[in-house]
Amino acid sequence: MTDVTLKINGETRSAAVPPETTLLKMLRESFSLTGAKLGCDVGDCGACTVIVDGLPVNSCLMLAGQADGREVLTIEGLATPDHLHPIQKTFEDCASLQCGFCGPGVIMSSKALLDANPNPSVAEIRDALAGNLCRCTGYTKMIEAVQQAAQVMRSAKSKRAA
Amino acid sequence: MKKRGRGIACMWYPIGFTVAANPSAAVVKVNEDGTATVLTGTVETGQGSLTVLGQIAAEELGIATDDVHVVSADTDTTPMDTGAIASRTTYVTGNAIRLAAEKAKEILFQVAAPMLGVKPEQLEARDRKIQVKNYPQRCIGIGEVANQAQFVMGQPALGSASFNPPTVALDPATGQGKPFATYVYATQIAEVDVDDETGEVEVLKIVASHDCGTAINPMLVEGQIEGGISMGVGFALQEEMLFDNKGKQLNPNLTNYIMPTSLDMPEIEVDIVKNYDPTGPFGAKGVGEPTAVPTAAAIMNAIYNATGARVYSLPATPERVLAAIKVARSKQLPKPKKAAKSKRIAAH
Amino acid sequence: MTKKAKPARTAKAKSAGIGQPVEMSGTLRLPAVVKQVPFPIEALSPKVRQQTPAVGQRATRPDGRLHGLGQTKYIDDMAFPGMLYCKIKRAGIASALIKKIDTREAEAMPGVMAVITGKDIPVNSFGPSIKDQPVLADDRVFHAGDGVAAVAAVTEQIALEALDKIKVEYEPLTPIFDPVEAMKDSAPKVHPPVSNIYATKLIKKGDVEKGFRESYKIFEATYSTQMVEHVPLEPHCSIASWDANGRLTIHSTLGRITLGRTDMARTLQLPLSRVRMVATIVGGNFGGKNEITQEPALAVLSKKTGRPVKGTFTRTEEFIATTTRHPIIMNYKTGVSKDGRILARKVRLVLDGGAYCSWSETTLGKACILSPGPYNIENVHSEAFVVYTNKTMTGAMRGFGAPQVCFAYESQMDEIACELGIDPLEIRLRNAFHEGSSSPTGQVLHSVVVKDSLLQAAERYGWKEAR
Repeated sequence: MTDVTLKINGETRSAAVPPETTLLKMLRESFSLTGAKLGCDVGDCGACTVIVDGLPVNSCLMLAGQADGREVLTIEGLATPDHLHPIQKTFEDCASLQCGFCGPGVIMSSKALLDANPNPSVAEIRDALAGNLCRCTGYTKMIEAVQQAAQVMRSAKSKRAA
Repeated sequence: MKKRGRGIACMWYPIGFTVAANPSAAVVKVNEDGTATVLTGTVETGQGSLTVLGQIAAEELGIATDDVHVVSADTDTTPMDTGAIASRTTYVTGNAIRLAAEKAKEILFQVAAPMLGVKPEQLEARDRKIQVKNYPQRCIGIGEVANQAQFVMGQPALGSASFNPPTVALDPATGQGKPFATYVYATQIAEVDVDDETGEVEVLKIVASHDCGTAINPMLVEGQIEGGISMGVGFALQEEMLFDNKGKQLNPNLTNYIMPTSLDMPEIEVDIVKNYDPTGPFGAKGVGEPTAVPTAAAIMNAIYNATGARVYSLPATPERVLAAIKVARSKQLPKPKKAAKSKRIAAH
Repeated sequence: MTKKAKPARTAKAKSAGIGQPVEMSGTLRLPAVVKQVPFPIEALSPKVRQQTPAVGQRATRPDGRLHGLGQTKYIDDMAFPGMLYCKIKRAGIASALIKKIDTREAEAMPGVMAVITGKDIPVNSFGPSIKDQPVLADDRVFHAGDGVAAVAAVTEQIALEALDKIKVEYEPLTPIFDPVEAMKDSAPKVHPPVSNIYATKLIKKGDVEKGFRESYKIFEATYSTQMVEHVPLEPHCSIASWDANGRLTIHSTLGRITLGRTDMARTLQLPLSRVRMVATIVGGNFGGKNEITQEPALAVLSKKTGRPVKGTFTRTEEFIATTTRHPIIMNYKTGVSKDGRILARKVRLVLDGGAYCSWSETTLGKACILSPGPYNIENVHSEAFVVYTNKTMTGAMRGFGAPQVCFAYESQMDEIACELGIDPLEIRLRNAFHEGSSSPTGQVLHSVVVKDSLLQAAERYGWKEAR
């Protein structure tokens, strides 16, 4: 067994898992964080996307042991007790998710994008979501929602600054 | 050199099964506060049926979408349904739910009639009220009526109903008959750039004009159309399951089976054609499958318009498009106008 | 989980970039870090959801919120105490007789709780119309993705390893892959003694030959399409469990639970009242989740072991062991008048049905009926055949043959327009159905707006300006 200690959604946790366990499997099975999905298990579909140390990662491609000592943010860590994250809110308002299976991964990729680039162009959004496959939506309403979320987050930031 | 072209394609598509019975049943329970619960055996598979079916029940009961909760997908608790297939949910399940809600509403009317001093048939349900037709000021809140029905009259307001689209069997010798209750229609126009040196096709834009009868929820209709187009783009240009000569698949994974990503999607303009089908719930038909139907045809016609090359075998991979361009050139045709004499291109 | 505490690390929890792990303190072994979000966090878009009338509102989806929070429970997100994991051994050979299946070595593996073959399924056949598909192939393999044995083990990993220990002896047969070849009498039969052509459809209206004689020009072409997979992002997944009353519950990613329950009762020989099927929210269907696949095997494994059994398809199984879109070879012969009116259309469709019927009869019917296009044509002859081959089965997929025939009829429409020098929009308007048109099956159509859709799309695009 491999001992893994990491910060998940702001809180430090640890687990002992077989060495071949992926980060995805550990999140889902050891920590009951089933938001990240297994869609292909080989890094093609992006349904398992989480943010590790600020970068979007296919958690099916990362071993749990590699996450030792890192900070992992999953879809479950986005909303506060009072509010949805702006990306979750705009995805809801635009009906950007249909079956929703790709949703947690798409939202985490969007979060990583907006953290790094608060005012992305449509081309940059398309680029950031290119690793997240969706079969239902044609991505159109997702791109709209990311644009809207970017705006909401920028104006919230400028309000805080003022 | 990149060449731009545009192509148009229209289509028709039926709602429900071909002749075969495909009923849906539904139960609508009006709670004693005037909100409602719908039981349906269909399954939410992403299309938004829970929302749309809730809107249909709400409309019939004169309440808001948020007042309705839809329970689905459990054979122990929900009535039979032929399921999420054949673009039938809004039309068939929707009709069943509307009829079930109507029955529940009739109970509310019977209870409200003496309260308002009129006959039940003089009543209507609107804006969360039971009111006298043409005299909306003579009204009672639907919650009060539902409470009266359940706790005073001992007659809880619930209804159940089923619906099966009416069809006529096809004559086996001629295929003549009425296989479907209704159809939807649509047109898509594609604009593409074709690189005539590599055969690569980029879909720039698709204008999609779709009929779904009444759009119960236009936002979800748009979502269906956009999603259908993405599937159509994949069918047109990218996706193909390949087999070796022993019948084993060569690309059974998402690494080598190429489907559209966010980078492959064109700009989409959605246009919902105004229509009302009197046989559907509040005029609605359906929209799920047809959205994926005309896309590939429109793209192929745009490639033709751009280059004079006709692709006879999907998907139009760069290799196939290039081969078709060579065929078109070998005929030394200056314009696509004369490229019409068609022979199937050996594109494999 | 072990109780051994990790040695405390120096408290330095500032995050660093990937590749520079940070030191952390506090090593509580707590199972979950799901933030309990109090409900409701915010009202669900009251602007649209609280309005009357409800129809026509751009109402947001209550399930959409759960999707965005990662709280939707798909079947693969569920687990029951003591649950086992099922994996299925795939044949990997397209056509063969099964001489022997030896499961002893697999059964002896630690952690393997049960291994079954097709012989363990009470009624080992299913299908929405023709019941030609085994749950697990028992005496014959019909395509390379056929399952031949199923394992239930305490972990997925052990179940996978056990598959390698199952020894299957095959006697290879000559496979057939080309549907046109498969139609010949001399071709090997996929399901002997049944003909490879397992369903046909014919639509006849007017007199096509007369129509061709009266035509100004005749156009002929052959179009063909490929096999396509649905690719729902959520792979097929089910969990079978029994209670002590002999009642079976199947949690499944199925879009049609009513039919699913019927199939379960039939294959397992149970009264319908003893079967419960629950589908929660399905992570994408598109026609690919309209019938059972592994579920009877899961139920038998669960009964044998007395524990819930979950089976989740790998992405590869999604391709090789579930239904796909029919490839169709489409011959179109169309006679037109000088002004571009279609006088006669003759269509011949050959659908590659793959190894099993599945929803082929529906696809065949819809493809045949829709094949002339949304046009007023007095003389129509459309015939369609669906043929067995030793390939992955084809079934229901978004459009049931319509995207294929639309590609053909609309391609030919443009070829006709070009040849006659008529604008592609104009030629469609000249032929399109109108209210009260008679369809190829003689149905009087209502609520017809194909011309409106043509004109609206053209206007939106700027078709006339862009000429």
